[in-house]
Amino acid sequence: MFGYVRPHKQELLVREFEQYKGAYCQLCRQLGKDYGWTARLTLSYDCTFYALLALSREDSQKRLRRGRCVVNPLKACKFVEAEGEAYHKAAALSILLTCQKLRDNVGDDSFWKAQGCRVLLAFLARKEKKAAARYPLLAQAAEAATRAQREAEQARAGVDACAEPTAQLLAAVFRELGGCDKGQCLALERFGYFLGRWVYLMDAADDLGKDLKEGSFNPFAARLGLEGKKELTEEEREAADLACNQALNATMAQMLPAFHLIGLEAFGPILENVVEKGLPQVQREILFLHVRDPKVRRELKKM
Amino acid sequence: MTDPYKVLGVSPSASDEEIKEAYRKLAKKYHPDQYADSPLKDLADEKMKEINEAYDTIVAQRKNGNRGGRAYGGGYNNVGPNGGSGFNDVRSYIMAGRIADAEQILNGVPPERRNAEWYFLKGSVLYRRGWLEEAKDHFSRACQMDPGNPEYSAALNQAMNQGSGVYGGYRPNANMNAGGCNSCDVCSSLICADCCCECMGGDLISCC
Repeated sequence: MFGYVRPHKQELLVREFEQYKGAYCQLCRQLGKDYGWTARLTLSYDCTFYALLALSREDSQKRLRRGRCVVNPLKACKFVEAEGEAYHKAAALSILLTCQKLRDNVGDDSFWKAQGCRVLLAFLARKEKKAAARYPLLAQAAEAATRAQREAEQARAGVDACAEPTAQLLAAVFRELGGCDKGQCLALERFGYFLGRWVYLMDAADDLGKDLKEGSFNPFAARLGLEGKKELTEEEREAADLACNQALNATMAQMLPAFHLIGLEAFGPILENVVEKGLPQVQREILFLHVRDPKVRRELKKM
Repeated sequence: MTDPYKVLGVSPSASDEEIKEAYRKLAKKYHPDQYADSPLKDLADEKMKEINEAYDTIVAQRKNGNRGGRAYGGGYNNVGPNGGSGFNDVRSYIMAGRIADAEQILNGVPPERRNAEWYFLKGSVLYRRGWLEEAKDHFSRACQMDPGNPEYSAALNQAMNQGSGVYGGYRPNANMNAGGCNSCDVCSSLICADCCCECMGGDLISCC
């Protein structure tokens, strides 16, 4: 589920890319500071996006500081530092979402396959408690989403019903960034709803082939009449990719108007890049270039 | 009042053309049509008003009597009052943004009484909630049951268009050129047109 919300690097200015990386590295540092070094394993693009959005809503001083990478001391690194809650919240969210995801995997996968997840969960359990105590609202939202997700998938619900929990989760998490401004809360909530929906649909579209092979549940399988099939022919796969892309585009069409209404103080161009160019690029890479396909991957490596 | 130049995102030294361009871009971005079916309508209207005011202020400041008229304003909502409707209460709830109430009434309608309009209104409710796929299904069901109805087909068209990527997202067959028409397209179109003309006895490009 992680890693879809990222910038389209080629379209960023060099200065913007530096800032993005600075925020990414700072979040990594914050994770270590707040929750210990194992917490750094949960670092993701998605939570960096959340941190940037939170930072752009906060009226705090931001500084670029030169330092060394916390994982590899030989590498020089820049950090975008800021006072305020943004990085703390993003770090907590990172832990909470990763734990929910791992728990979901433990429930879904076979006993042996899930062993890795169990070990990681054991490492993160105490950190999760700490994060939940600091931000009970985030923790509740994450837990409710996992529960609702499980129920929807067990009921083999439709695409929209399955996307609802993730959509509601991000709606709640983003809404909270609006503070006292009612209009901004509404815009952030609506944006979060459709971003969550997009992430869920993207994940489902990405996993469709794998899920069909393994016989796992996938909301697109029933929608596109592919239930019971193990392998897809080239045409079937193409048609499925196009249908998934349409569902994602329709979601983008709702997401953009809401996003444009959010007042962004800092990092506006970076956030716009992620939403307006990064997300479509992910659609392109996964559904049309098939970068996840092992065959394509090998070819890309040769290049 | 906030600085009108800041609202339009241009520097005070920008030329009239640049200001017009910035205004056009913003007006397109916040056009009321995009928010017609959204709970963010009021917010977007406010933003649009702010942009309009900023533009007017700048134009007035520059003492340019003829600003060519603002092209954007107004708005529409694709669920409107309907004389022959059997669901007037649902329509007024939807127009007032009371989606949950509208849905409750719709769900209470027994299956045998669910006509094309019911599917259209249920689709509209789902659409506003963000359940875009099921909304599309409902709109197309409404169109099947009542093929000639312009209201239903407009809703279905909108839902289908949004899937195509014109309003954001990725378009697999889109040309990388902004206009979607490159020099190659121009030449091949001209040759095609010439062939057509020749079929009918005329000629467009005399040398071929």
